[in-house]
Amino acid sequence: MKEIKTKIIERIKSHFQDAVERDYDYNRLDFSVKKETIPSILFYLKDEMNFKHLSHITCVDWLEEKEFEVVFILWSYTDRLQVYVRTRIDRDHPVLDNIDMIWRQANTYERELKEMYGINFTGLEAPEEFLLEDWEGPPPMRRDFDTREYAARTYYTRPGREDAQDVRETIIKRTGEELPDFAKKYKR
Amino acid sequence: MVFNDKNSQKIVDIIENYARKSSLWILAYGTGCGAIELPPTVTSRYDSERLGIHFGATPRQADVLLITGYLTTKTLKRVIRVYEQMQDPKYVIGFGSCTINGGMYWDSYNTINALDRYLPVDVYINGCMPRPEAVLAGFAKLQKLIQAGKADGANKYKENLDWYRTNQKKVIPNWRMPEYNW
Repeated sequence: MKEIKTKIIERIKSHFQDAVERDYDYNRLDFSVKKETIPSILFYLKDEMNFKHLSHITCVDWLEEKEFEVVFILWSYTDRLQVYVRTRIDRDHPVLDNIDMIWRQANTYERELKEMYGINFTGLEAPEEFLLEDWEGPPPMRRDFDTREYAARTYYTRPGREDAQDVRETIIKRTGEELPDFAKKYKR
Repeated sequence: MVFNDKNSQKIVDIIENYARKSSLWILAYGTGCGAIELPPTVTSRYDSERLGIHFGATPRQADVLLITGYLTTKTLKRVIRVYEQMQDPKYVIGFGSCTINGGMYWDSYNTINALDRYLPVDVYINGCMPRPEAVLAGFAKLQKLIQAGKADGANKYKENLDWYRTNQKKVIPNWRMPEYNW
């Protein structure tokens, strides 16, 4: 496995100078690239390195750094190896190249990302709404979207759930237990 | 023979209610994770068919609408349509804590929190998830209500349709549904 990994890292780094690799698990590799490189590195991985299977496209919202991190997860059946290709894009103008000519199923994931994070893929064919129906408002999976406030505004909340607001506070109230320092950071 | 005096109407009601409670057909439509509790309930282990409870295929043949778990607004739209297509007598059972107060999805952006604001609920079964024993206990309760003539959620819905519609339209902004006149 180690020889395969070093070989892949060497080949990728010789072709794509901006790729930064991270090697952490037994059968997992990780490349961070610039967003312009995404279609070419995916093409290269699919055609030359035998990563035929696109498992998923997902997104991480780095709110503090004002960036989205889009992650492409690929799998090779011959090497039994998983490769993550990451790229950072601007959070205010999230635009990325459409890759559904490489894998057709990417269209589904891209439509999901478009609805849930508001990422625009250039030339994406998305005729109608996908998962959300009649949704008016910001993309709901963004971290600055306050789901609790939205739910309180839209849906009727039955009284009697006040102690479910934060379990830790209820425990403190009932038992007099001290709150550990790390937990105070996450106080609502 | 004419059944027009009160006592003979009572006897007819008793017979009618007995027939209704002894043959409850569930609409085979699972909305949330709770639908997974229904196969053990109707198959050989808990065998609810001995109580006359079994799955029906279409809304027009079913008596009971089970809301099994959380309801997203997207599903609520379909559930309302299904409920309005069902023939009288019809009953609704809210299944699991999500239908009562939102359960673990109480602050989610797309799930409703209290089912009885949108549909008339005859029986609630609490638990997350309720086991088949609890489901059968809920059905036993519903059968008691039917025998006593108290399971009149459908009438409640007809009488207070405006209130239910207002609540429904509040969470379903783009209302493109047929209007039924019963």
